[in-house]
Amino acid sequence: MSASPWPLVWLSLRRDRRSALASTFGLAVGVASLVFFVALGLGVGRVVREKVFPVDARLVEVVPASFSLGLLGGGVLDEAAVGRLEALPGVARAYRKMNVRAPAVSVYRGDFFGRPLHMGLEVLAVGVEPDFVVGDVVVGAFADPGPDQPIPALASTRLLEIYNKSFAPQRSLPQLSGQLLAGFVFPVEFNRSFVTAPPPGAAAIPCRAQLVGVSDRALLAGITIPLEVARRLNRAANADADAYSAVTLEAKDPSAVPGLVAAVRAMGLEVDDQERRQAERAGAAVAICTSSLALVSLLVCVLAAFNIAHAFSAAVRAREKELGVMRAVGATRAALFRLVFVEALVLGLAGGALGTLVALLAGVAADAAAASMLPAFPFKPESWFSTPAWLLAGGLALGVVAAAAGAFLPARRAAASDPARVLAG
Amino acid sequence: MIDAKGVVRGFDDGAGGRVTVLDGASLSVAAGEFVAVVGRSGSGKSTLLHVLGGLDTGYRGEVSVAGVRLDGLGDAALSRFRNETVGFVFQSFHLLSGVSALENVMLPARFSAAPGGELERRAREALARVGLTMHAARTPGQLSGGERQRVAIARALFASPRLLLCDEPTGNLDAETADGVVALFSALNASGLTIVAVTHEERLRAAASRVVTLAKGRLT
Ligand SMILES: Nc1ncnc2c1ncn2[C@@H]1O[C@H](COP(=O)(O)OP(=O)(O)O)[C@@H](O)[C@H]1O
Ligand SMILES: [Mg+2]
Repeated sequence: MSASPWPLVWLSLRRDRRSALASTFGLAVGVASLVFFVALGLGVGRVVREKVFPVDARLVEVVPASFSLGLLGGGVLDEAAVGRLEALPGVARAYRKMNVRAPAVSVYRGDFFGRPLHMGLEVLAVGVEPDFVVGDVVVGAFADPGPDQPIPALASTRLLEIYNKSFAPQRSLPQLSGQLLAGFVFPVEFNRSFVTAPPPGAAAIPCRAQLVGVSDRALLAGITIPLEVARRLNRAANADADAYSAVTLEAKDPSAVPGLVAAVRAMGLEVDDQERRQAERAGAAVAICTSSLALVSLLVCVLAAFNIAHAFSAAVRAREKELGVMRAVGATRAALFRLVFVEALVLGLAGGALGTLVALLAGVAADAAAASMLPAFPFKPESWFSTPAWLLAGGLALGVVAAAAGAFLPARRAAASDPARVLAG
Repeated sequence: MIDAKGVVRGFDDGAGGRVTVLDGASLSVAAGEFVAVVGRSGSGKSTLLHVLGGLDTGYRGEVSVAGVRLDGLGDAALSRFRNETVGFVFQSFHLLSGVSALENVMLPARFSAAPGGELERRAREALARVGLTMHAARTPGQLSGGERQRVAIARALFASPRLLLCDEPTGNLDAETADGVVALFSALNASGLTIVAVTHEERLRAAASRVVTLAKGRLT
């Protein structure tokens, strides 16, 4: 049992203000840079995950084998195969997808949100089960409306982003949102192509499509329509209207995905994990970039710890006699250790808090600068930083740990010094 | 008050050998005595005080002070003994620089396990006992040598010790100031405090009730 070290710690901090400020500042620089870069990495990683490659970790995209094995009809995605996929353990649902197996074009001539537009586009279309995208539909029903009605169609969220940030500004076209687009009707003609010869004896099928929303799950370069419409169009075009182009499996849990992938491959089907791989690659690139910056910052923290070690060694040496007299009036060795160590912890806490605060402010400033100085580009985030509570706590902890590491040996030396030797004479 | 028997204390001489500074030193001091320990420089006077005050542990022999058997005690118990039972006064004062006289006097309380109520009042009382009521807020740099030594004595008195151990307490003071400090010791002794003072000064020796000489590691 002994008294609280606080009064003497405050006394010492007050007396050696300069040295305390220098130590705190050194720590703050290290902590600030580390928190800044980690927050940047987390923020950019979040943009990659949520906007650039919004991969749902529970989804597995099953596609037919690129070459059929012939046996057991392996490699074909027919209704029977879908049934088998649905029965795999860990599968919550299977969503069928069928490409419209006829070329299509959209020729638009008219008013486009207040601007005249004249444009012809080759269009890809994929039919999906309504449940797969129903959450993103904002007008009408996502179902087959019948041959003469506009086909409900979803556009890709990412396509819209690219349009808004790259395409529209260059052509002085208006900025669009999912809300604005919803309800927009445009012509689509199936069995026609700008790039390939139309199938022999196939008559063009003129239709209209109506945008009913934008979705992360929609086809990037094309339109996503109800499965039954795709089936009907394939029939009308004399194309395969039974085999599916892909089946998206929704796992009950992300941890079930690797097992599912293996089971799917064992069935002779393939898994299209291009998107996931891209996301992982981009995520890894961001992680490598920021962790190397974080490593440099960690070095700064190590330097700060050495700085503290140096300052505290000097202080312990300079205060040798004071520490000795403290022993003479009743300080135990442990009390002296505590005195020096707690002083360092206070500096560490202050440096950690200051550094974390500076990092947060620098993040806000960098966001503001990026918003005003960088041109708009696809997926440009509002904030480049992510500062979860654990990161802020980590900043504080880092300051404390660096200070503690630096002060440990000097504190031990203070505790071990022989008062009788320094007090005599 | 003090009963030390056969204290032997040696140090490494830095050349691989040993020098024996105390070589069977024995000392008995009754409560209320004012003992002056004299001896030439390097004879081991400071070493003896450190042993008696529980600052040193590297000796052999039996040492009892104020009923506490010191030899063999651990750090915590010795620290508590220094905190509560003895007060040290050093030749070069050893005050915390840049810190007020009042804070300096309170220093023992910072390491005391006892509840530290009314620290400031008690510190002011201790300053009053050494005649420094007016200078409580001054730092050592703002005090004269004699005043600094009085602050140091007030610090030694703060925890109401039973024994004052003084190591050349007038060694850094001019004659006039030293007289004042010696008078203060006499007054403290008259009020019942036991004092052991190491010195080679005539005036302190004259004020003491008994003089012992340290030579060749022994007290006579
Ligand atoms: N911690 C120590 N380490 C080595 N030698 C010491 C130590 N303390 C004292 N000595 C030696 O012991 C002898 C006596 O010292 P000291 O007790 O300070 O003498 P005095 O106070 O009588 O002048 C001296 O020779 C001194 O060098
Ligand atoms: Mg001496």
